[in-house]
Amino acid sequence: MSQGQDGAEQRLVTPGMAVGPSTGKRAGSGVIAQNDAFIATRLGWLQELNNTVSVNPINATYMPRSGDLVVGVVAEVRNNLWFLNINGAFQGLLPMSLAPWKVEFGAARMHMDVGDVVLARVQEVDECHNVVLTMKGVGLRKLNQGAVLNVPVQHVERLRGPNNERLQQLRDMSDCRIMVGENGRVWVDGDNNAIAWSRNAIQRVASEGHKTNFDALMAELNTMNKGDA
Amino acid sequence: MVELVPTLLRQELARLAETNERLDGRSQWEGRAITLETDCLYNAEGSAKVTIGGTVVYAGVKFELRTPWPDRPTQGSLMCGAELRPVAGRKYEPGPPSPQSIELGRVVDRGIRESGCIDMDQLCIVPGEKVWGVMIDIHVLSDQGNIFDACGLAAIAALRTAVVPAERFDVGEDHKLSVNGTPIMASFTRVGGRYVLDASEEEELGGDERIHITLGDEGHLHSLQKGLKGVFTPAEFAEIFDVAQSRCVELRKLVAEQEAN
Amino acid sequence: MGGYGDVQLLRDDGKRLDGRALDELRPVTVEAGVLPAADGSARVTHGLNVAVVAVYGPMEAHPRKIQRQDRAVIDVRYNMAPFSTSDRIRPGFNRRSREISKVTADALESVVLVERFPRSKIRVEIEILAAEAGTRCVGITAAAVALADAGIPMRDLIVGVASGKIEDTVVLDLDKAEDNYGQADLPVGILPNTGEIAFLQMDGDLSPEEFDLAMEYNFKAAGEIHQIMVEALQRRYEGGEA
Repeated sequence: MSQGQDGAEQRLVTPGMAVGPSTGKRAGSGVIAQNDAFIATRLGWLQELNNTVSVNPINATYMPRSGDLVVGVVAEVRNNLWFLNINGAFQGLLPMSLAPWKVEFGAARMHMDVGDVVLARVQEVDECHNVVLTMKGVGLRKLNQGAVLNVPVQHVERLRGPNNERLQQLRDMSDCRIMVGENGRVWVDGDNNAIAWSRNAIQRVASEGHKTNFDALMAELNTMNKGDA
Repeated sequence: MVELVPTLLRQELARLAETNERLDGRSQWEGRAITLETDCLYNAEGSAKVTIGGTVVYAGVKFELRTPWPDRPTQGSLMCGAELRPVAGRKYEPGPPSPQSIELGRVVDRGIRESGCIDMDQLCIVPGEKVWGVMIDIHVLSDQGNIFDACGLAAIAALRTAVVPAERFDVGEDHKLSVNGTPIMASFTRVGGRYVLDASEEEELGGDERIHITLGDEGHLHSLQKGLKGVFTPAEFAEIFDVAQSRCVELRKLVAEQEAN
Repeated sequence: MGGYGDVQLLRDDGKRLDGRALDELRPVTVEAGVLPAADGSARVTHGLNVAVVAVYGPMEAHPRKIQRQDRAVIDVRYNMAPFSTSDRIRPGFNRRSREISKVTADALESVVLVERFPRSKIRVEIEILAAEAGTRCVGITAAAVALADAGIPMRDLIVGVASGKIEDTVVLDLDKAEDNYGQADLPVGILPNTGEIAFLQMDGDLSPEEFDLAMEYNFKAAGEIHQIMVEALQRRYEGGEA
């Protein structure tokens, strides 16, 4: 059966697979109780933490939660609001009242137009998946330069590391400003070579971070030419 | 569905173009990895699967018996169509054939037809009564950029492996379709102000117009198409035309190697 | 079901024309994650059948009128490529593919945890590239693997499988000749974990006893195919790609 502890070999489970007795344990995400057993509902790695059995999914769609930092792209502009694509099933709504500018009715487009990229936060999500965004808050703004990279949503956590340690290390090594959105979009700003380096580094951390020793990976990335030569 | 083009993507592509770099690190005239597989579908009389990067395309050849056109009683016919169904990507929607899929099919069709690689008289069984109609259907399963080159390659590779199913139609023995030549398409997209070969999905999203060049074995032009909004100069065309020549030789070699196996 | 009787489908040794035993499947292969553009995908070969499935979503359900406030809808398109059959099929929807799409969607909505995604749709694109009898079942099997690959939560991995009757004998998994000249076909979609059935069609002529035997064959075969599906998903990800 599964170990689930850090570093232990993990077990890949598929939907419908029985993953052990449910007695005395709680069903976490990706797991349902059926009779006396737990059944996995998603493809992923089985995990048992604090008496809760869950599945760490291999693929996931971004499901917004309030407080999430997201990188959005303006998809639609109305007189008094913007709709932003936030890489989820539904667009997020940014009302004029939650924009960082004083906007007159009808002048929304002067501040942000379709295609513009912004750093925003999820203000609230209702049970019907309606998402309201805000740009009021420290650091929330329209992003006028830099590049947006996509990483699988389920690997965002891996990229940041505990207490944002990995992210900070990446920032230091890359000479780039890096912001990681919960929605799988990463904003990177620096010169061409630095962005190219970050693009590669971030993709490698996202795709290999779980099997490679992280320090070794960072050391390897650090030796890679950042284009000074 | 109209796709959303992030302003930052266009900006980044323009910035990379200044130093002639590309998002995925390729050089301006460098293509992605290509795989070609032929004879891979039961029921198709000729078939091919092509992948270019993350783009996946199948082509299948079918034959039917038909009466020839009255003004060309000894000639069979060739038709090539492409389907861009919703399977190919998030942006594709169900419905009748889109203008994009019709353009795609017709550009591939012209390249093959005009190269003269199929002798239409060879497709005649009884003059004025019975000729073969050859149909190449192209099916795009995954669009991650440059589906035109993938479709062109799949179509000619499938055609070159096709066997005329004469026995099933009771008109003689099965025999290989004779195909004289290997017309190849090379496509260029304007990205960040200059042309690149074999654009990726992101480059197409943040790019502008595209040009498709189909060349025959002798390096002659057989079909040209400019698509999407944008203009180009004769000097720009001269440059990509040179690149197209070497690209087509390369891909033609790939088809020949596959056939030799 | 086509004409009965005239064509011999069972050999004198009791085996079928292709040498299979009565309860033996054609060879099945499954591969997950074959279409890079899709959120999840799979390719299944079953005998000479080839099905490729792409899954997209969950995404906002459009047009609005198909939206359900309490759950996701599954938007299935089953399509046979023009070159997939011996006579070319004209592209486009027909009554047969519409019906198969609908009942497949009904089956998949019974296993996907659709209530997790109100107002959404999940697109399931089933493309049959080569057809040799039994394509709807191959499509269901491939759809299940593609949905799992896309990370969609489900109660089970549904398996499509069929039995039928030839020369008054119940057999598993009809091939093309057996389908053309057989007497009955019973395609089902089985949930291997619970033993429930989410997809059922039948045409032809079966006695109650023959039906029971055909279902017994189907359940046994579903277990075998399920094993291949699970192995395909494990093969894709246990190499450490995730």
